[in-house]
Amino acid sequence: MLLVIVSGLALGGLYGMTALVYNVMYSTSKVLSFGTGQFAMVGGICTAWLVLDLHWPLWAGLIACLVSGAAFGWLSEVIAVRRIVAASDEHLWVLSTLALSTMVQEAMSLVWGTDPTPFPRVLPQEFAGIFDQKFWLPMILAVLMAVGLEQFYRRSMVGKLFIAMSEDSFAARARGVATDRMRSLSYVLAGVLGALSGFAGGQLTFADFALGTALGLSGFIALAVGGIGSSVGALVGGAILGMLTSLTAHYFGAEYQKTIAIGLLILLLVVRPQGLFGTTQVRQV
Amino acid sequence: MTHTRIKPVVVGLFALLAVALPWMTGNVYYLHVATLIGVYWVLIATLNLLVGFTGQLSVGHVGLLAIGAYAFCLLAGGQGWNPFLALLAGGAICAVIGLLLGLPSLRLPGFYFAMATLAFGLIVSELALAEQWLTNGSVGMPAPSFPAPFDTPGGFYWLVLGIAGLVTWMTANLARLMWGRAMVALRDSTVAASSVAVPIYRTKLIVFVFSGFTAGIAGGLYATSQTYITPDAFIVNLGIYFFVAIIIGGRGVIIGPFIGAAVLAAIPELVGPLAKYGTFFYGLILLIVVLVLPGGFGELIATLAAKLRREPQSATSIEPDLPSLRNAVRGQKA
Repeated sequence: MLLVIVSGLALGGLYGMTALVYNVMYSTSKVLSFGTGQFAMVGGICTAWLVLDLHWPLWAGLIACLVSGAAFGWLSEVIAVRRIVAASDEHLWVLSTLALSTMVQEAMSLVWGTDPTPFPRVLPQEFAGIFDQKFWLPMILAVLMAVGLEQFYRRSMVGKLFIAMSEDSFAARARGVATDRMRSLSYVLAGVLGALSGFAGGQLTFADFALGTALGLSGFIALAVGGIGSSVGALVGGAILGMLTSLTAHYFGAEYQKTIAIGLLILLLVVRPQGLFGTTQVRQV
Repeated sequence: MTHTRIKPVVVGLFALLAVALPWMTGNVYYLHVATLIGVYWVLIATLNLLVGFTGQLSVGHVGLLAIGAYAFCLLAGGQGWNPFLALLAGGAICAVIGLLLGLPSLRLPGFYFAMATLAFGLIVSELALAEQWLTNGSVGMPAPSFPAPFDTPGGFYWLVLGIAGLVTWMTANLARLMWGRAMVALRDSTVAASSVAVPIYRTKLIVFVFSGFTAGIAGGLYATSQTYITPDAFIVNLGIYFFVAIIIGGRGVIIGPFIGAAVLAAIPELVGPLAKYGTFFYGLILLIVVLVLPGGFGELIATLAAKLRREPQSATSIEPDLPSLRNAVRGQKA
């Protein structure tokens, strides 16, 4: 039973990190990218391939993982977001990020195959039940990431610019903020954080090409439950969803996980559309 | 107005060509591909009403297709119902499920709705694998074929053609009349549409239920055309294919998505080596169309046709009426 709770929280950490990645991109561009989960997938597969197949040392694998995430994040801004945001058609970014996400997933499966492969051990630790690194690594990293992002938003100049853009992009531009460059930067940051979450959760999920879509959906549910734009909400939403998923799998069987998760999403959105920690936006005109 | 005379001729020629296809090609495989395009079209035609006209991005229609296919196989194969009755029952079941799915999810904004339908598609394929007592799990089940005149490849092709024609006619009627205006209006501006008394939620819901119904019909036809169904046949990628067909064909045009569906279905089937890269290319084509040609090929063709007819572009024809303007200004001054 304890194992069920711990693995649920670990999954919740992974979902929470994905929700944080959504938030970073949403703050500067108001785009919820379909490819958010793919950062973790790309990072995880890259690391597993470099470390296990090519026998790179682990630190080099981690660096390569982060670099691949940064490159993918930057590319997704350049290819799928920049022109769409400039054209300001609110439906098109769903399509362009969906297209890019599909392409990346297919390319990864064509090159590295469709079977999940194991992920290397990060720390030299014997398997230790509920205290194993595959459980606490995503949990701790999720909390660290949330705290770090909050500090980043509040203390650093760049973080404050992100906040300014999320409140009013035009006003920020009028005040001399290089909004295009900031948007690129936020996508690079999102790519790095996403790849890092894939690295942290790799031992839990394995390096699997289908991880991206599943994680994108779960991370989005965590985000919607917690409320868009809130770091605490992302963590809490992730933890709720992770626990629910894990308990469902324990009591009813793994095949009902998604049904329960989407049930939670729809129930919460009907009762409280802005999420648990979100702020309401009533103005439509 | 030459195009009003041209249009029926083109449609008639196309219909004649479509009906005559089984005699023209002796190749059973080509006929199978043509049948498959027709089956997809039954689903895509009304999904176009939802995605192209109403602007609701449903990625998970493959779930409704799967439910329709399983309902058809269970009722016509297991329970021994008349296949036509089972086909209608499958459509009705999908309409009800579409209603249940649409009631909460159509209240959500764009990306939320896309995610909810994506999740629905994933749930259905998960449950089709898990509920072995109903679906045989990954083993799958055989699909019954239709009675006598429709049991040959040619006969089944004509049946699909008939249903596809009927669905196209219904779709075109809906799109052309008041309903279509309401859909386009609420797609372009929900606020403006509701201010002129378009019932936003009800319109979306009715379109969604209608598209659910034909998705169920398409599911039954799909099962028969494949003769055997497994959960693997209904992966989410198929839903993305439907979606891409509509977007590259052009949102808000009836015939555009048909071209998209035909091209996308025919290329991997006819060019063997491409099948492996199929989904990758769907993604690539979607990306290119969204970036370069947001209106899809339907709009491109419409623009070219207008150029060919030398009709003046309506956007450039706004000229100020200078004399009356001058009079008005002078009148005000005097």
